Formats: sequence, C-alpha cells, structure tokens
Amino acid sequence: MGEFFTLSVLVATAASAIRLATPYLLASLGETVGQRSGVLNLGVDGVMLLSAFFSYWTVLETGNLWLAVLVGLVVGLVMGLLYGVITVFLNATQGISGIGIFIFGLGLSDLLFRQLVGTPKPVRRLPNVDIPLLSDIPHLGEALFQRNLLTYLAFLLVPVTALLLTRTTFGLNIRSVGDNPQAADSLGVSVERTRFVAILIGNSMAGLAGAALVLQLGIFQPNLTQGLGFIAVALVYFGAWRPIGVMGGALLYGFVNATVLQWKALGIIPVSGSDLANMAPAVLTILALIVVARRVHAPSALTKPFTRH
Amino acid sequence: MDTMGSDENILEMRGITKVFPGVVANDNVDLDVRYGEVHSLLGENGAGKSTLVKILFGLCQPDEGSIHLRGEPIAVESPAEAIASRIGMIHQHFMLVPTLTVAENVALGTQSTRRPFTDLDVVSRRVSEISEKHGLAVDPSVEVRRLAVGERQRVEIIKALYRDAELLVLDEPTAVLTPGEVDDLFVILRRMANDGRGLIFISHKLREVLTLSDRITVLRNGKVVGTTAPAETSREELAQMMVGRAVRLTPDKPLMDASAAQLKVEGLTIRGDRETVAVDDISFEVRSGEILGVAGVSGNGQRELAEAIAGLRAVEPGGSIRIAGVDVTGDDTRSRRDRGLGFIPEERMRDGAIAEFTVSENLVLVDHGAAEFTSRGMLDFGSIREHSQKLVDDFAVKTPGIDTPTSSLSGGNIQKVILARELSASPTVLLACQPTRGVDIGAAEYIHTRLIQQRSLGTATILISEDLDEVMGLADRIAVMYEGEIVAIVPSEEATRDRIGLLMAGVVEAPDQSSV
Amino acid sequence: MKRQWRLGPAVLVILGALALVGTACGDDDAPASGSGEGGALRVAIVAPSASDDLAFSQSMVDSVHAIERDVELSVTDGTFIIEDAAAAIRGYAEDGNDVVIAHGTQFGASLIEIAPAFPDVTFMWGTASDTQGLANVFAYSPAADEGGYVNGSIAAALTKTGVIGVVGPIEAGDAVAYINGFKAGALAGGASEVNVTYTGSFGDVALAAEAAEAHLANDVDVLTGTAQMVVGAVGVAADAGVPWFGTQANQTSLAPSLVVASQVYHWEVVLEEMLTLRDSGVLGGQAFEVNLANGGLVIEFNDAYELPAGVRDAADAMIEGITNGTVSTG
Repeated sequence: MGEFFTLSVLVATAASAIRLATPYLLASLGETVGQRSGVLNLGVDGVMLLSAFFSYWTVLETGNLWLAVLVGLVVGLVMGLLYGVITVFLNATQGISGIGIFIFGLGLSDLLFRQLVGTPKPVRRLPNVDIPLLSDIPHLGEALFQRNLLTYLAFLLVPVTALLLTRTTFGLNIRSVGDNPQAADSLGVSVERTRFVAILIGNSMAGLAGAALVLQLGIFQPNLTQGLGFIAVALVYFGAWRPIGVMGGALLYGFVNATVLQWKALGIIPVSGSDLANMAPAVLTILALIVVARRVHAPSALTKPFTRH
Repeated sequence: MDTMGSDENILEMRGITKVFPGVVANDNVDLDVRYGEVHSLLGENGAGKSTLVKILFGLCQPDEGSIHLRGEPIAVESPAEAIASRIGMIHQHFMLVPTLTVAENVALGTQSTRRPFTDLDVVSRRVSEISEKHGLAVDPSVEVRRLAVGERQRVEIIKALYRDAELLVLDEPTAVLTPGEVDDLFVILRRMANDGRGLIFISHKLREVLTLSDRITVLRNGKVVGTTAPAETSREELAQMMVGRAVRLTPDKPLMDASAAQLKVEGLTIRGDRETVAVDDISFEVRSGEILGVAGVSGNGQRELAEAIAGLRAVEPGGSIRIAGVDVTGDDTRSRRDRGLGFIPEERMRDGAIAEFTVSENLVLVDHGAAEFTSRGMLDFGSIREHSQKLVDDFAVKTPGIDTPTSSLSGGNIQKVILARELSASPTVLLACQPTRGVDIGAAEYIHTRLIQQRSLGTATILISEDLDEVMGLADRIAVMYEGEIVAIVPSEEATRDRIGLLMAGVVEAPDQSSV
Repeated sequence: MKRQWRLGPAVLVILGALALVGTACGDDDAPASGSGEGGALRVAIVAPSASDDLAFSQSMVDSVHAIERDVELSVTDGTFIIEDAAAAIRGYAEDGNDVVIAHGTQFGASLIEIAPAFPDVTFMWGTASDTQGLANVFAYSPAADEGGYVNGSIAAALTKTGVIGVVGPIEAGDAVAYINGFKAGALAGGASEVNVTYTGSFGDVALAAEAAEAHLANDVDVLTGTAQMVVGAVGVAADAGVPWFGTQANQTSLAPSLVVASQVYHWEVVLEEMLTLRDSGVLGGQAFEVNLANGGLVIEFNDAYELPAGVRDAADAMIEGITNGTVSTG
C-alpha cells in the first residue's frame, strides 16, 4: 500500500482520473442543461459514439485535431436537432426516443466505421498543453495543468454551465420550463424553443464528449463508449442537477477507476480480487445515488412533454 | 387615473365562439369590462368561463368573434402578446415555479436590463415597491415553494402588476383561501379597480361574487345567460341563472332526535406526513341521525383525522376510534367497512375511484367479493350490471352507460358514483370529506339532499369541508379545527359565519360560550 | 470464391430509426442469406466483437478466408449479448449452413440447447477444450501460453527496469493462458516483476489505456496485452515509446515502430482438419488445439523493430524448443 502513496504514483493516478473524467464531465454537463429544461436524453451514448466516430475519421483523413473536435461538436448538434424535433415538436416519449437515438448511434457508428475505416488505425492523440506558471507547481502542476485542451474546456464549462443556469435569463427560462412549463408558457416564455435550445446545447456537449473520448485514445472501435453515456446520465442525478455536483460525480468515478487500476498494477489488488474491484465504481455510484436521492428532487417536469391545455 | 369610474370599456369581446371536439365551449359570447370595474364571470364548471379568458390571454384561439382592447381590435396569439397588451392573468392553479425565488418568478419572461444576465436586484427592488404600494407583503428572495398559499397568490398578483397589467383576469382566486384571506384579497382587488384597472373575477361562489363585483355576467353551457349587478339580484336568482332551474341553496333539514353515539373518538393523536403531530388529543362523538361538520382552514389536521377514521393512517397509542360501540382503532379498512363505515374521500380520483375503470366497476369496487356479485368464485357480471344500472338511475349519474370509463365523467358525476357506492351499503357511520369540492351547483345540491336523506335514515355523518356555507347548511353541530385541535364544537343554531371564521383563525372563545 | 454477409450494425441502424419514428417493429425481416452456389461450403461465424478487431474475432474471419476451399461465409459479429448470439447461431443453423462457428467460450451453454436440434450441422465452438459431449460440436482452443512464453522471454530481454506490464480483459479463456505463459516466460528470462491488470472488460478501450498508463507510472518499460480493448493500451505504449507484444492477431499496424512481435492464431490449420472429418461423416465430438507445433500459432515478428543482437535467434530457438517439447511453458 505504501507504494501507492508515492508522489509519482499519486500524480499519475490524478492525471488518469482527470483523463477518465473528461468525457463523462462533458456529457453530464450537457445532460444537466437538458434535464434542467425537463428533457431526459438517454441517447447520450449513441450521440457520443457517432461524434467519436466522425472525430476519429476526420483526424484519420485530415490529421487535423481541431477540425475533429469541431466535427464532433457539429455531429452532436445535428443529433440534437433530430432529438429536439422528435421530443419537443412531435412530443414523442423521451425515454423511448432516447433509446432509439442510442441504438441508432451505436449501429450507424459501427456501420460507418466498417465501411469507411475497417481495421482500427491509430491516429494522433490530443497533445497535453502546459498552462504557463501553473504547470510548474511541483507535482500538482503535473497532475492538473499538463492536460489536453478538451480537459481544460470540460472543467471550464463547469462554472460556465453553472452561470448559464443561475445567472442568465436563458438559464431562468431553462429552469422554469423544467419545473413548471405551464407557468413559463403563461409568462410568454416559449417552452418549445427553450427546450429545443437546451437539447442542442446538451447534445453538442455530448458530441464534444465523444470527441474527447476518441481523441484521448487515438483509436476508434465499435461501441467504443461501452455505456459511458448512460453513466453520464446517472451522474446528473448523482450531481443533483448542479454542474459542481456533476463534476464531483465525474471526478469520483474517474478517481475510483484510476485508483483501482493503480492498485491492480501495484498488486495491491491481487488478480483474484479483480472482479470484486471492478464493481467498485458502480457500487460507489449506486451508494451515492441512494444518499443523493433522499434529499433532492428532479426537475418536476423531467420527461414530461409539454402541451397547452 | 383619469379613467376612474368612467363608463368607457377597456375590453369588448364580441361573438366569441369556440368549439372543442364534441363540445361548444363558448357560443357567441359577448363580454364588456369597464375601466375601474370588477366584472365577475359566474358559471358552473364547464360553463365556458375558463375558455373565454384563455382566449383573451392567448392560450387558445377563438373560432369566431372579435376582441377590442382600449377600442382597438386585437388578435391575441400567445400569452406573450397578451402580456405585451397589458393583460394579466391569475390562474386558478398558480403559475409559479416552486424552485425559483419570488424575484425569479417575477422576472421570468421579462426583459433584463443586463442581458444576457438576469438583473434580480433590480427586479427585487421593484417587487418591494409594488408590495408596499398595494399591501402585498412578500420577500423577493424566498423560494416560492417555501411560501404559504396566500403568499403565493400575492406573488401572482405582483407578477401581473410588475408587468403593468391594466386588465386583470382572476380565475377562481379564492378557491384556496381562508375566509380571512378572501377578505384581504377583496380589499386589494377593490383598490386595484379604484386605480382604474379592469378586473375580471371568475368564481362559482355566489356570496363572493355578490360582495366584490360591480357587474356580474352569468354563463351556462357556453352561452351568456345575462349580465346583472349585485344590487339588482340575489343568491337565489344567480343560482337559478347558473343552473337553469330553481335551486335550493340551503337544504331543508327535518328535526331529528339525536340518539345513540355511533362514532366515538377518544384521545386521538395522529402524526402527519412529516412525523409532526397533526392531530393532538381530540375527542368527539357523532350520534345516529346527526351530521357533525368539521370546519377549518386546510391543513389543520382534518385530512389526517379523516384518514385515521377511514383506517388509512395509524394513530398514536392511547387513542381510540369506536364504530357502533366496537373498538376499530387497530382494524384495517375492510373490517371498518364491515362495521358499517362509509367513506367519501377528499381526493376522489386517487382514493375514491379508479379512473381507468368503468362506472360499473367502480360501483362494485368495494363489494365485488360479496355473495350477490359472485358465483362459484367468479364475478357474476349479470348481477353486477343490474346493480350498477340501478344505482346509476337512483343517483341520477349522468353517464353514457355503465361501461363508460369513469375518467370521462364530470367531477360531479364521479362524486355521485362514489356516493352511490357508499350509500348503497347503508352505512352506520358516513365519513364525507369535501363532498362537493369542484362539483357543480346542481350536483352539489343533489349530494346535499342525499346526505340529509341519509341523516333521516339514522346514519351518523361526519362532514369535513372547507366550504363554510356547506358546513353551516348541513351540520347539526360544527367542530372547528385549528392546529390539530378541536377548538370548539358549536351547535348550528348558535353558529354564525363570523364566529366560526374567528375560531378557524385560532381565536379561542371564553370557555362558557362553547358548548361541547 | 468467397462472399461475406454482414448483419449487426445495419440492423441496429434500422432498429434505431424505427424506434425513433415510434413504429412498432413486428416481423424480423433479416435478409435471407443466398443459397450456396455450385456446392460451396456454407460457413457462418457468430463472433462477440467486431470482425476486424485486430484480435479475437478477426482471427477467425481471417482464418476462414485462408481455407483452401470454396466457402460462402456469413458473419454476425458484435454479439456481446449472449442471447443475440444464440439467436444468430440458431438462425444460421435453420438457414441451412453446413458449419456454424460459435466463436466465444461464453456461447457454450447456448450450444447445449441448439446443437442437438440440428444434427446435420457441424458446430465449431471455441475457445473450448472439450465438446460438452455433443456429437456435432468440434471444440477448438489455442495453446496461447506457448506464444505468451516466447513473447515473455523476448520482453525480459528488452526490459531495463525489469518490470513488465500486462493488460488483460477478464480472467478467462485464452487470455489467462496467454498471460500465464507470458509471465512464466518473462520471469524465466530474468524479468524481476510482471504486473498483471485485468480491467474487467473486453471492450473498454479507455480503461485499457489507463491500465497501461498505470503500469507506466510504476516503472514498466515493456507492455503486452490481450483481447480487443488493448488497442487503447497499444496507443499509450506507442506514445511512451515502450515496446509492445501482441497476441491473437498481428497488431503491428497499431504501432508500427514499437510492436515487437505478435502471436497470431491461424485457426485454418484445425479448421481444415475439422472439415476433413466432416467430409468423412464425422460431424463433431473432438477437440482441437492450435499450437506452435501444428502451425496454428505463429510468432510474427515486426521487422521494423530492431531487436538487440542474439535476441531473435534465442527466440527462434525457444520456438523450436517448444515445438519439439524440450522447453516447457508451465
């Protein structure tokens, strides 16, 4: 156990946790915006898969990482348009539509990968960028401020999302249509438009999450996310619909996973205990959800389509 | 304002017609509202009041007709346009976001001075100014979910005033208020009218309409029956206009010799949903052939008391409930029913009937296991249908048939279904909770007649209601609940509105005045 | 001639689209596979991961393509859900395929139900070391420990820190054999420590990448791994300039300058044997193993990686020793 508490291992664990947390954080923040407006999107995983594929393909074809990030974002936006039209304007059941988006994204990303790429080929990964001064802080700088730009963006989006929700008129509109759309409608706030834009924001961030996932790995594989998007949705509940809470959840998830991997590498967790340790993140999440669920309430209109009576 | 007291119309609605599938909600309706006037819209549920004001507020579009506001023709396509035209609306169900603060609720949908950011400090200052000017005390920084009902209504009014509404629509604003709060509201509304605003006041409570209005327009089945003024009419005439026939507002009650106590409650203490004491050590009895009315502002323990008597809520040790002399304190609902308890619950669609079931199924919901409805362990649909049809006829339930889903019936007819089921079991003790809430006058009259009939048959009835007129009209004795206690039990001949109203507000009388 | 049908992703896309328009999908109109032309042998593969995963599933698809016969091949891949795989296996048997390859240890229980219902169809099941007593099931497995041992001994010659890292999926099947063989080979070759991480997933690329990162933080300077999720770990090794040893398929394309050698499965060796038996009327009942001796396992070296003098010769000698039984991998 002593080996774990060496600075270099702790730094590596923190770095690993932050890398793992980045796609979760981006996806969960986006989902938070959507859910606060009353829209549950179970299709996050599918959106991530599609944007991950297109980001990967863009780097493969052009070598341009930033174009790839942009492509990931745009694919998310397009999927958001689709989901928004279906759920907001056609008033489809959100749960089923979300699963539809997931299956669609899973299948299409798989199909396109096989048609356009075939065998996995490695591409450039997102380079780490040192933040001047901060990255020179011993150890801490290495762990926190020598990361890639999408990681910085993800953590920057935490206060940005929080500000959006709590300090802007649009955020006020989002919260009102998520809690009492009839009230918002009676004051001339367009429930449809507000939800639609919230969905676009959420899906764009899911798109960024897909890009972050694939560009951190430098390779794509069918079903690359392995259900990551669903955990991102759970983290919104975990974080009690607040960006800071969501960040806590994503980091906790990342840290537990990173620590388990470090302990396995160090032999602290023996091979025979692997299976048990693999459950740790899920168990922790469930426990935390139980605790959280007892004291917070979801947006009242979550999953409820809006119609005027 | 210079328009005060003028005869000039702020609003003229002409020939408004709105057809929903199968229903003509508004049929060629005209309505004028003057500056500085409180104009009441009176009518039963489904008479078309709500549809008319929804059209005015842009929540739905008329099929025919025109609207003139301040002399100009307008077409209101959305609430946003209505608000921009300085029309304000206080909805029957509060249009507030519980998780937002008062200031945020007020600011919602308005332009901020600091776009894209909110300017809640500016909003809060204006809210405070409006509060002060109109006597609407409320803290702008508090979350709405922490506010009491009366305070929430003030927030609604502030919202309208913040938007500088000149024509204000109030849809059943008193439904959730105590008599005292209603008085306060009327003072505020009158003051707003005196400022030159036009107010449309929607209600089905005759007393309130007569108290507050300058003019009254009565709607029935989507049509205007007539427009009158309080000085020119009476409760009886208004009721007749609403229902279309003479209505007996205070039922005739034959004298009964109250005899044996059928329901006896002793030392009852009950905890509420939040584990706090909701009912605190109360005792009373209801005798055969007697109606005991329980009055009180909502949330003073009536619901918990009713649930305890019905067997839906546990009581603290030491208390007891006896039906016909038998202790049923620990019994379940079924055995209480077997002892002769009938129950008309407050939440009729949650506890009284199953919405998806047919009328017939709801009518045998309790007794479907009885020998007369089963044969060899299977439901005997023949006898069930026969029984159901008889009840539907006896209780004048307006339904296309006994196989109609209950959810498609009106509130009054659903209540009649429940009443039919409960009364057909000839209960010894009848527990009736808010039996006419949300029920139209015709059905309410019928339900009242039935309760009196049951009294004549010797049933001991406990009537829990927030409608003071109902309690005073039906009860032989009135128990007033305040903060979980029965502060007084007043014989009906000694009860006045003022006296009961004071008791409901917790103003306890000198002991010698109350008789137990 | 060989033609290949693929289901899976296209069906998912259609299903997703159907769910989106809210239409209930009644009949399952999967395209029926064409009948064999001119006596071509009809073979179907049901594989748990993508058929081009540069790992387990691809090894079988490549092997069927390598058979010297006229084969009409159908593939359903990505069936990581066992029920889906079972449905595909049954479907192929019903469709009149001659051979159905259930390419996954986890499909064994399904075969017990399905195989007896189709006595004329030969089922091939791997990796598995016995046929569960089923007369029309051939079992196949790799002696993955052999290549693991060779890889391990080369790795031991390359490490400077003496610490070698292994990234595995779940402790089961040929992964265990490979990893145990690798560990034995590395330790016998003089490595001081071999750290093994089972990530708990065959598919989680990100977790595999971070498992490799964790090894790197703990002085590891040579890495290997098995199963399809290791593509993530290879990327980490490549960025860190750490040599990588592959298995199941040739992984050189993932890190052209750092993959030292890959143990490649050539199932065609045993496939031919099984098909010959089938020609003679024996539809199953026997277990087969691919190993270095029968040519079913081949260590493919990456010529772009320059091994220190003598290492390649020592490795060749070791392969020879394992083949003739003078070297034990245990």
